[in-house]
Amino acid sequence: MAVTRKLRAAIVGAGIVGAASAYFLSRAGFAVQMLDAAAPASGATGSADGAVSVASKRPGPMMEAAIRGVETYRDLHGAGIFEGVFKERSTFMLAQDAAEDAVLEAHAVALSGNGVELRLHREDALHRTVQNLSRAIRSAIEVRGEGHAIGYEVTSRLIAASGATVARGCRVNGFRTASRSGSLDALETSAGTIEADLVVLAAGGGSASLLGLASALRPRKGQLLVTERAPALNAGIRGSLMSCRYLMSKDSTETRMTGSGRRFGLVVDPLRTGQFLIGGTREETAERGTDADAVRRLLVEAVALVPRLREVRLLRTFAGVRTATADGRPLIGRVRGFDNVLVATGFEGDGICLGPLTGKIVSQLARGEPTAIDLSPFDPARFATQEQAA
Amino acid sequence: MREARFRWNGADIPFREGETLAAAILRAGPSDAGLGYFCGIGACQSCVVWCDGRRVEACVTPARTGASVSGSED
Amino acid sequence: MRDPDVLVVGAGPAGISAAAELAAAGLSVLWIDQRDRPGGAIHRQPSAASTAIAFGPASVRNQWRRLHARFQGTGVSLTGETGFAGIDSDGVAILEQRHSGTTTCVRAKAIILAVGAVERVLPRPGWHLPGVCTAGGMQVMLKETGSPPRGRVLVAGNGPLTLALATQLAAAGNPPVAVLEASDPFRRPSHALALMRSPRLVGEALHYSTRVAFARIPWKRGRRVVAIESHGGALRVRSVAKNGYVETFDVEHIALHDGIRPNTFGLPEGEARPFIIRAGDCREALGAVAAEVDGKQAARRVIARLRGEPAPKPHPMLNAERRAQDTLASLFRPHGDAVPADLPDDTILCRCEGRTVGDLRTLLAAHPGISPREVKLNGRFAMGLCQGRFCADNVAALLEHGGETGPVSADALTGTRWPIRPIAIASLIRDADDPNSSTPQ
Repeated sequence: MAVTRKLRAAIVGAGIVGAASAYFLSRAGFAVQMLDAAAPASGATGSADGAVSVASKRPGPMMEAAIRGVETYRDLHGAGIFEGVFKERSTFMLAQDAAEDAVLEAHAVALSGNGVELRLHREDALHRTVQNLSRAIRSAIEVRGEGHAIGYEVTSRLIAASGATVARGCRVNGFRTASRSGSLDALETSAGTIEADLVVLAAGGGSASLLGLASALRPRKGQLLVTERAPALNAGIRGSLMSCRYLMSKDSTETRMTGSGRRFGLVVDPLRTGQFLIGGTREETAERGTDADAVRRLLVEAVALVPRLREVRLLRTFAGVRTATADGRPLIGRVRGFDNVLVATGFEGDGICLGPLTGKIVSQLARGEPTAIDLSPFDPARFATQEQAA
Repeated sequence: MREARFRWNGADIPFREGETLAAAILRAGPSDAGLGYFCGIGACQSCVVWCDGRRVEACVTPARTGASVSGSED
Repeated sequence: MRDPDVLVVGAGPAGISAAAELAAAGLSVLWIDQRDRPGGAIHRQPSAASTAIAFGPASVRNQWRRLHARFQGTGVSLTGETGFAGIDSDGVAILEQRHSGTTTCVRAKAIILAVGAVERVLPRPGWHLPGVCTAGGMQVMLKETGSPPRGRVLVAGNGPLTLALATQLAAAGNPPVAVLEASDPFRRPSHALALMRSPRLVGEALHYSTRVAFARIPWKRGRRVVAIESHGGALRVRSVAKNGYVETFDVEHIALHDGIRPNTFGLPEGEARPFIIRAGDCREALGAVAAEVDGKQAARRVIARLRGEPAPKPHPMLNAERRAQDTLASLFRPHGDAVPADLPDDTILCRCEGRTVGDLRTLLAAHPGISPREVKLNGRFAMGLCQGRFCADNVAALLEHGGETGPVSADALTGTRWPIRPIAIASLIRDADDPNSSTPQ
């Protein structure tokens, strides 16, 4: 392609996926304009648990993508972009009874089959490795080489490093089709017309209305808790603690729903600040409140794992709304019918882990390069009802 | 009125019935250095102390006989 | 615990008069306060009768006699030592029993929030040092213990409360070395004349000013504190007058105060079930006399609501109090920006997390057009233990100075959420109705 000017990319949605796309596209030579209906990291990215983790992924394409996702974090950390915002740490998947032991062992086989570095800790050896754990915990798999990153911090870094401009409070009202069939040449927005050679839709649930994907995307709320700083307790816990039940809660087909139609999967993550992040719920709603029932239940389970959390105070509760798909896999790829429109959404709770990798893939697609992972499981066209709404 | 006592950073602090930890510590004088008393109504969290293993605001927590209070985690 | 018809949070003037009114109407009331006895900050009672000092003008003392008789007469009883952690998304109030280390979740038909005001304190270099407290903080300690802080005391900031504190310190035997006032009320005679329309305010002004004069406490107007430093075991406070004159004070204690604002952080409000209304200084900071009327008014609104009757009309006295407070505010309006734009970079903005003015400036420079929520998250402002009570207004004011975003409200930094104060996890997982169990229903 012979170009005399920079190609213009317009990215709709300034969450982690949009920000990573901005970073990689601008490195690939695009002039990037981001726009968000609210502000950067105002959706799921800003209310996420921040796990950059392979540990909980289902075997198959999601586990493979997560492995590459963690690698991308390490690369960006090495390049200095994520200095101070990416904390490398292990994930400890904990089993409390024989049934959980069995689930854990099966999962360990899948992880190691994908080349993930694991260690099995049992009984006393476990309690020497992770201090302050309840003695009721029988065994743990340590998944090594993972990390934690706070979504809004990563997003802020990527946007700053991209040099992209961000239009806040800017809504997309429609698309302008180019004279050449099969492409868009501009977005009609609340801030006027934005011309673009490439359009990336990374607006989470907002992408649904833009693409007519309402039937494929659904909101799934998660409640999260943050404690005050407890540096001494925090220091003895050198990785994220994930109850084996988290795996069960994550599986959408699993029928262990509570009466209120929500699932609980416990994660206790020691943050860099000395605080603890405790999550979370999966609820079929887009409402963003937090309720005492859910919070108390998460805390009861957290204290069951780490009894000394009793001595700490709860500082904050918040909820985010993830964008989930019917089959649990995100949509990443070209939008059918347009040669210059890419979509990347539907990451549910994996956006922080997969966001930077997805940004890289977006840039590879834009330049017609081979992609970092096989995209066929993530093809947006698999949802047949897709049609352009605008 | 009979004066009861609690421990504050290793020192014995007398207090009156119904008095807060902060009031007793500040009234006692020199040992108040470690207490970050600021707003007096439990809002600013500057005077949070460890009292018998719990984190509490000294300015709204009644003193109790025999309590062990410190400015930092032992 | 049986769910009450109405939950009243707070036992200051508004909470007392609301709880008494509701009880007199025959409603079941759960009335809580973080302290173990009624009074609030304004009527904080001494811990021992022998140390009591008759503080404040007659209007304040008369109010306490009236309120005391009111709640005793109606038989409504205070559930004290109860921390209010907020209201969740289902309208459930989360109450922490501090003494037993348990929590109760209460579903009331209506909730009256009467949690008072918090002081505004502007950031100044060194305001985080030991020996610095708020004027209100020094005042409640004085009321409670009956004894003033030991050593030299300086009172500084803005508004009539600094004079009230000075008077009380003098009555307790340790008058402050000076009161530094940022505004200059003597230069605003027209506003002073307007004050005359409120006989009570005139009475209070006379009460405090004559006592300050009698105790020979210098009231230095048009003065700002520009630095507080540790100096040989004491504090060295540097002040600057409007004409540039610099005066330094060496003291053991400094009390700061720059006004008050409703303590509404994190709290919802609404007509839906439960019916949640605010009363007293937590609705509008008009002072104790207005709060007493407003509490009663809130109770009447709740009673009407629960009985399906039309809402009562607002009490005319609140308008008069608002005019009086507006007059006072005009009289004491400082020159220039509330938060000086030229604060040194190392001035602490967020006391909880140690974030500075320089941190905010760096963030704004690196991210042009950044929204208040991004400032909160990436700058870690309003994210500490006090939940923004002592930095959100100041950060919002500095953002407004930045000029890119237009008016900025502190709410954009704090939002609506619970807990409104840190709550012990040990308490939260133990239900008061079943203290042996750590499994909530």
